[in-house]
Amino acid sequence: MLNIEKQIENESWVLKLTGEIDASNSVELDAAMSQVVENGAKIILIDCSGLEYISSAGLGVFMSYLEEFEENNIKMAIYALKEKVFQVFHILGLDQLITIKHTKEEALEG
Amino acid sequence: MLKIPTPNIGKVSILVAILTWLALLFVDITRIFQSVNQMENTLAPEISYILEILFFILVYIFYNHSINKNENIDFLNLIWRGVSTGLLASFITLAINIFYRMLGESKLGSDPLLNNFFYHVNFAFLTLFLVSCSLLWKHLILYQKTKKVVQQWQAFEVLMLMSMFFVFFNGNNLDYSFLFGLVFLTIFSASLSINLKWIPYLTFKEKWKSILFLVIILICTTYLFSGMLSYSDSDITFLNLTDNLFLLGLFAFVFIYTLFSFLVTLFNLPTSSVFEQKLVEAINFQRLSQSIKPGQDESQVLDILIDSSMSASYADGGWLEILDKDQIPQLIQKRFIDEDIRQEIITLFQTIKPFSEFEWTLDDNDARKFYGKIPHNIYKSAFLIPLVVNKKTIGRMYLVKEVRDGFNKEMINIITTFVGQASISVENYRLLNEAIKTERYKEELKIAQRVQRSLLPKELHHNEKFEICGFSVAADEVGGDYYETKNLEEGVFAIIIGDVSGKGTSAAFNMSQMKGIFHSLVQLNPSPGEFLYKANTALSQCLERNHFITTSYFLLDTVQQSIRYSRAGHCPTLFYDHSENKAEYLSADGLGLGIVRNTNYRNYIHESEFSYEKEDVLVLYTDGIIEATNKKGEEFGYNNLKTTLVKYKHLSADKIQKEIINHVYQFVGEGGIPDDDFSIMVIKFNS
Repeated sequence: MLNIEKQIENESWVLKLTGEIDASNSVELDAAMSQVVENGAKIILIDCSGLEYISSAGLGVFMSYLEEFEENNIKMAIYALKEKVFQVFHILGLDQLITIKHTKEEALEG
Repeated sequence: MLKIPTPNIGKVSILVAILTWLALLFVDITRIFQSVNQMENTLAPEISYILEILFFILVYIFYNHSINKNENIDFLNLIWRGVSTGLLASFITLAINIFYRMLGESKLGSDPLLNNFFYHVNFAFLTLFLVSCSLLWKHLILYQKTKKVVQQWQAFEVLMLMSMFFVFFNGNNLDYSFLFGLVFLTIFSASLSINLKWIPYLTFKEKWKSILFLVIILICTTYLFSGMLSYSDSDITFLNLTDNLFLLGLFAFVFIYTLFSFLVTLFNLPTSSVFEQKLVEAINFQRLSQSIKPGQDESQVLDILIDSSMSASYADGGWLEILDKDQIPQLIQKRFIDEDIRQEIITLFQTIKPFSEFEWTLDDNDARKFYGKIPHNIYKSAFLIPLVVNKKTIGRMYLVKEVRDGFNKEMINIITTFVGQASISVENYRLLNEAIKTERYKEELKIAQRVQRSLLPKELHHNEKFEICGFSVAADEVGGDYYETKNLEEGVFAIIIGDVSGKGTSAAFNMSQMKGIFHSLVQLNPSPGEFLYKANTALSQCLERNHFITTSYFLLDTVQQSIRYSRAGHCPTLFYDHSENKAEYLSADGLGLGIVRNTNYRNYIHESEFSYEKEDVLVLYTDGIIEATNKKGEEFGYNNLKTTLVKYKHLSADKIQKEIINHVYQFVGEGGIPDDDFSIMVIKFNS
C-alpha cells in the first residue's frame, strides 16, 4: 500500500509518501514524480516520515530522475527518513547522490 | 405349459365389432322378415340396442388402441385421419344414394331387406367416422393438458357412455328428456371445444392445410347428418338405430370442435407470423447463448446476432463494428446495404442526435440505446446499440429501416437481450483464449526458470584452503540474484554476488547480462575497482533507466591469505574473525551499478583489502535475507544474521549456510513466502 499526497508550499512541491513502495506500486510513485515535473516544479521535497519500506524498484524511480533533475536544475530532497529506510538508501549509495535530511527545514536549506 | 398368445386388442376388437355388426344386421333382418311375413315378432328391440351399444364400445376400443399406438403423430396427420374416414363414410352414403336413385321406383328399390342392409352399412360407417373423429379431437384437446381438462374429458366420456344406454329409457323418441340430453351434451361439447392450444404451433402453411381439412370434415359431417335425418324423416319399417342420443351427441361434439378449430385457425392466420417470429427469436436466443465452440471464432456469434436482430426488427439493412487491438472500429458484418449508402448514413450519424452522442469510452454504454429518425432518402429510421463487455464497449451494431419510427419498444427490448447474450458469448470466448494464452505463458516461464537455474553455477571454484557453498531462491518463477566464482590463477579466485533491482522476468534478463559481463571482464583479471568501473560502463548501455544492479566483487588470494574487494551498493559482507571471536559487517563505500552512467562513477569506487586466518568465515548474501519479514512485519535484519553466524561459526561452510537458511525460514514462520529473491554464499577458510 502506498499513498501519495501532493501539495505546493511556497514554490516547492511536497510529496508525502505513506506506506510501502515495492515493485507493484513503484509506477504510482513514478507517475506522481513525472506529474510534478510536468507542472514545472523546481524544488521537490519528499516527506518520507510515513514510509515504512522501499524496495529496489522504488529506489529505481528516484534514481531514474537524477539525471533529468540535474539537467533542468530541479532540486530534490528527501527528509524524515526512518532509520531502516535510510539504511536502504545508504547501502546502495544513493545518499551520495540525493540530498537526504532529517527535517523539512533542513531540506529547504539544502 | 400352454402358452396363450397375448391378444392383439386392435385386431380382436375390430373382428368382434364386425361380428357384432353382422349379428345386429341378422337380428334386424330377421325382425323385418317376420314383420313382412306377418309372423309373430319374437325379437325384442332391446336385443338390437344391446348389440348396438356393444358395437359402439368395440369401435371405441379399436380406435383408441390404434390412435394411441401412433402417439407422436403430428396435428396435420391427425386431422387427415379424420378427413379420410369422413370422406370414406360420405362416399359410401353417396354411393348408396346414387344406387337407390338409379333403381328408382323399381321393386328392388323399395325392398325392405335391401334397404335395411344399406341402412346398417351406413350406420356402421357413420359410427366409425364419429368415434374415430372424437378420439382424434381428444388428442387435440388434451394437447398441453392440465388436470382440469383431463377431468373434463373424462366426464365427457362418462356422459357419452351414459347416453348409449339412454335408448332403454325413452326408446329413441324425440321427447323432452331426449332434447334435454342433447342440449346438455352440446353445451358440454362446446365447453370442451375451447381447448385449442395446438393451433398456434402450426406454421402458416400448416394452418392453410388444416383449414382445408377442417372444411372437408365439416362438409362430411353435415352431409352425413342430413343423410341420417333423411332416414328418421322417412317412414322406415325397420328399427331406427341412428336416432340415438350417443350418435347425435357425437355429431354435435365433432361438428362444434371442427367448427371452432376452423374459425380459430382462420382468425389465427394473420397473427401466425408473429408467433413464428417469437419462436425463431427464442431459438436465436438459444443459439446465441451457446458458448462458442473451440475452433470457431467471435464472428460466428456476431453473424447470428445481426441476423436475429434484423429479423426481430424487420430491419432493411444493418452492420456491425468491433474494435480491433488498436481500438479502431472494424466492420465485421454487413447486411443488405450498399457501401456508398452506408458511408452516407455514417456521415449523417455524426451530426444527428441521438446518434452523434455515441462515444466509445463511456462506461455506461450498456444502458444506452440510440434510435430515431434520420434524414436520408432511402432509410428513414435507425437504431444503434453498443456491445458492452465488462463495462467496456467492444463494438456497436447499426440497424436501419425504410419506414419512419420503425423500431418499437418490443423490438428494442429483444435486440437488447440478443446483444447482451452475444456480448456474454464473446466475453467467454475471449476469456477462454486468454486462459489458454496464460497457460502457454506459464509453460514459457517454466522454461525460463530452467534456463535461469542453469545460469547459477552448480560447482563453485575453490581449493583445499577454503570451503565454499551457495544457495539461491527466487520469489517468482525467475529471479534477479546472481553469484559466481572463477579460478584466475594458482590460488587466486574471483567471487561475485549481485542483486538486480526489481524482481521477476525483467530482473532475470538483467541478471543474465550481469553474468555475461562477469565472464567477459574476469578474463582481463581486473582489480575489484576496475571491474566495477567497466561493469558500470557496460551496464549503462543496456540497463533501463530505472534499473540498477548491486554487486560485491572479491579477489581471494589463498597464498597471501588476503581479500581485496569492492562494493557497488550491495549489502555489506559479514566477516567472522576467529581470533577475536567477533563478526562484523565490512563497510566500504560504494554505489550501485547503473545509477551514475558516466565517468563520474569512478569517484564512487572504493577498494579495500584485509587478511584472513584459519577458521574465519565470510558470508555473502542479498537483501532478501535481511528483509525477510515475519507475520508481525519485523525484518530478519542484520543482527539476527550476525548472531546466527556467531552461533554456528564452528560448523563447516555448508552447515553454516543451512543453519542460516533454516533460521530465516523459522523467522518468517509457517507458510511464509519469500517476498524477494534471496541468495547466500558462505566461505570458510581452512588454513
